[in-house]
Amino acid sequence: MKNICKIAILGVLLFAGSCKDYLDEPPKYIVTDEDILSNDAGLKIYLARMYSYLPIEDFKYMGEWGVEFNSWLGALGIEATGEALTRDGICRPFTYERTPYWGMAFTLLRDANYLLENLPKYQENFAAPMYNNYLGQAYFVRAFTFYAMARRFGGVPLVTRVISYPAEKDVLEEPRASEEETWNQVLADFDRAAELLLPASPVRGYANRYVALAFKSEAMLYAGCVAKYNETVSGRLTGTGQKTGVRVIGFDAGTWQAASKRYFTEAYKAARIVMTEGGYSLYKKKWSATDREAQYQNMVDMFSDLTSAENIFVREYEYPTVTHGIDAYSGPFTFRGPLSGGTCPTLDFLELFDGFDRYPDGTIKVTSGNSNTQGNYLLFDSPMAFFANAEPRLRAYVIFPGDQFKGKTIEIRGGVYTAATPINPLFTDYSYAASGTRYQHSAAYTNANRTLFLSPNSGQSQVTVNYTDPNTGQAATMLAAGEDGPFFENGEATITGLYLRKYLNPDPAFVPGEGKSDQPFILMRYADVLLNAAEAAIELSLAGESSPDGSNLIQVATTAINDIRERAGATLLSGSLPATEEGRNIVRKERRKELAFEHKTKWDLRRWRVSHYEGRDGFWGEVRNKDMYSSTTNFRFRGLYPFFSTRSGKYFFDAHFQWVSEKTFSYGPVDYYFEIPTGEVAKSPVIDQQPNR
Amino acid sequence: MKKILFYTLWCAIFTFSACSLFTLDNYEEPAETLQGVVVDAATGDPVLTDQSSEGIRVRLTELSWTGVETPTPNPDFFCRPDGTFRNTKLFKGTYHIQIDGPFIPLIREDDRGVPLADESQTMEISGVTDVRFEVQPFLKVEWAGEPTVSNGKITAQVRVTRAVSEADFRAKIEPMGGYSSAFLNVTDIQLFVSYSSSVGLRARDERWSNEIKYAGSAFNSLLGETITIQSSGTIPSGRTVFIRAAARINYDTPAGSGTKRYNYNTPLEMIIP
Repeated sequence: MKNICKIAILGVLLFAGSCKDYLDEPPKYIVTDEDILSNDAGLKIYLARMYSYLPIEDFKYMGEWGVEFNSWLGALGIEATGEALTRDGICRPFTYERTPYWGMAFTLLRDANYLLENLPKYQENFAAPMYNNYLGQAYFVRAFTFYAMARRFGGVPLVTRVISYPAEKDVLEEPRASEEETWNQVLADFDRAAELLLPASPVRGYANRYVALAFKSEAMLYAGCVAKYNETVSGRLTGTGQKTGVRVIGFDAGTWQAASKRYFTEAYKAARIVMTEGGYSLYKKKWSATDREAQYQNMVDMFSDLTSAENIFVREYEYPTVTHGIDAYSGPFTFRGPLSGGTCPTLDFLELFDGFDRYPDGTIKVTSGNSNTQGNYLLFDSPMAFFANAEPRLRAYVIFPGDQFKGKTIEIRGGVYTAATPINPLFTDYSYAASGTRYQHSAAYTNANRTLFLSPNSGQSQVTVNYTDPNTGQAATMLAAGEDGPFFENGEATITGLYLRKYLNPDPAFVPGEGKSDQPFILMRYADVLLNAAEAAIELSLAGESSPDGSNLIQVATTAINDIRERAGATLLSGSLPATEEGRNIVRKERRKELAFEHKTKWDLRRWRVSHYEGRDGFWGEVRNKDMYSSTTNFRFRGLYPFFSTRSGKYFFDAHFQWVSEKTFSYGPVDYYFEIPTGEVAKSPVIDQQPNR
Repeated sequence: MKKILFYTLWCAIFTFSACSLFTLDNYEEPAETLQGVVVDAATGDPVLTDQSSEGIRVRLTELSWTGVETPTPNPDFFCRPDGTFRNTKLFKGTYHIQIDGPFIPLIREDDRGVPLADESQTMEISGVTDVRFEVQPFLKVEWAGEPTVSNGKITAQVRVTRAVSEADFRAKIEPMGGYSSAFLNVTDIQLFVSYSSSVGLRARDERWSNEIKYAGSAFNSLLGETITIQSSGTIPSGRTVFIRAAARINYDTPAGSGTKRYNYNTPLEMIIP
């Protein structure tokens, strides 16, 4: 009886099932295209995913990690760019990324391609401008991703369609395109994005037309430089893939010149549209033409002010949900939490700026003679006196010894010197060959009658020096090292004598900690665009090209540089920029100064091809003799170390190669293109390795 | 209850044993040896080098392994300073052997990738396999006299000559495209000093090593002449150091890598009195 009942019920169910397509109806718990792509709320989710995987470089990026969105040890400019140094192995040349930007890129490209292919099915659900704006977002993401790949690898597989799986092998496999085709794709996608995107995004944080154009100008500048400056690397930096015979890196001897002109023209045009139509301007809320203190404060504030008219594309953070940790890793030693001193600016970087006395060779003057080894040390009443005329922009980027931060004086002192004045230089040789010598090796420290006192570490390890104050005649004591270092056995304080100020939270009430920071990171600002326009203008003039929009190339470049210098409190140009390599170097140097610690310089050095030995004279934007800081294989950077002289009660400075946690870098022409992940090459019949590896 | 537990355990053991839990990897360990020497085709002398990524690079590609569609090279290794190399952990099979160093490239192609010449070798490696590469080094570097020491400085005399004639170099390199007569210029002479007997570009002490650079074709008149080069700094007395001289031309191998490799002479041991 029971069985009959069961069979009956089953029969009824089956019977009923045939009336309606129950089995074909999508289950309620699966999100469909219809749910996501047919309305604004769904697309907001779709775009949020794409934006959160966009390969941006902010507080959560570091050359060592690659695109990992990883805030740990947050530091800026430490990839052997010369801007800053840090104690750990993460401070190394930009020759590879731990996580190569390859697999992730294809996931993001698929997301963008999927939107491009499927959104048209729901076109009638949106007003035309919004519909175009969504397509524009997809093109922007695709352009940004191809750009991120191209500057790493050269030619990459141009996946511009959704590849469905499973499929035939020849459908799934996409070989690397040539480098020229890849840049053309980047150009085409940015152009499509700029055409479709709204001038102002309806949602904060999304790209708009000018964001696309600003990044287009940056990308085209990269492409133009690769085409042009690959020729300056011996043997022409180019080659064809082993499997496909495609020119996966570099340009053909017959096409590079035309390509480079075309890309520079595009870079200039795009930057000009942002300048004339974008409505952006340099941040000058607190700026005053006559007050250098105001100029300094203005440039400190501009990086955290979300209402700044200079901001074009910004990665925002919000405590406690979306945070980073720059203050926890890169602040001064006394504010450590849990770490500090992750970004220590170098003396070589400081030498780019105005407001210091120089030796005849252009290096900073610390003695009365004509070089480091001649004369006696110049004495200063306080460390800050040395920086009295420093460019306000530099002070906004770097904490000087004795300057204020969060309401406290940052005490940086290398050591205490007790012998009589005048004081001869501590070393007889300051050349690169002697860069391994430290203050612990100096005669003043090693002599039985010690006159130089240094501290290996903070707290209990600090060495106390008793002396007679020359002004009062009273007995006095002083700790050998400053409270903020440098300590010769602890790389967690400053290792160069300087600290980072840019981007740190200046609020005295803020307690740094991991995941406590929520300053925004400005990925693209108006000054970038001005510098892109200026560099493209000079490159076009050098190539003998005429202005693509009728504007005066040299005039535009000169005004751009002067506007930036005026805001920074730097010396203005005395006339027009010359249309020569010298003029180009002025623009490059300005770019290195203005955009320091913004993840831009390491790419600039790459596209200028100035990191390998033969090209290294141009490493600083301006021409500097590379042999001053490098040998044929390696290079190192310098620090600026203040010392207190007890006999005079004054400070003197010594300019020396990095004293603590010494870092040595090397870079060769092969490093201008990253290696394709070997696993990808091994498993594919079409993906080529770089031909010069 | 106990029985159930017992059976469960019994089954578990069976399951694991199926994954060869108790046996070692069944693949034979790589045990074949390849040893080789790189010699000057003209004189039969070994081509001396530096054991680093700027020395002579040996690249093996196993062709007999069919696990992948496109064979990719094994991890590169490098010649010893005396111009020999040896790898004792290879799987048995057929390999393509290519070396790159300061000599005329063995594989030459034009800019479009059309092969011009291929002097690389493909061979079966099994047991201890010997291979000999006869190459045309760019330069020959020799000591031109006993180095002397005074006041912690070493003064060495070096003679540099071309090991491949200019005409021969041009005949072989020009078809590869982008030829420039500047390729033949000797760019610098190095004197490497180190505490290590494997002294070279990557094992030198930067305090004492020195170099002389030559712009353009300035060195041409000095070919075959005795060049005097002195170490820099002051080497502390009582130490034993090793020295070596090297020179290179303005041509990178493999083409496009930007690595201009040095030709070396034999290292010498020096006692600093």
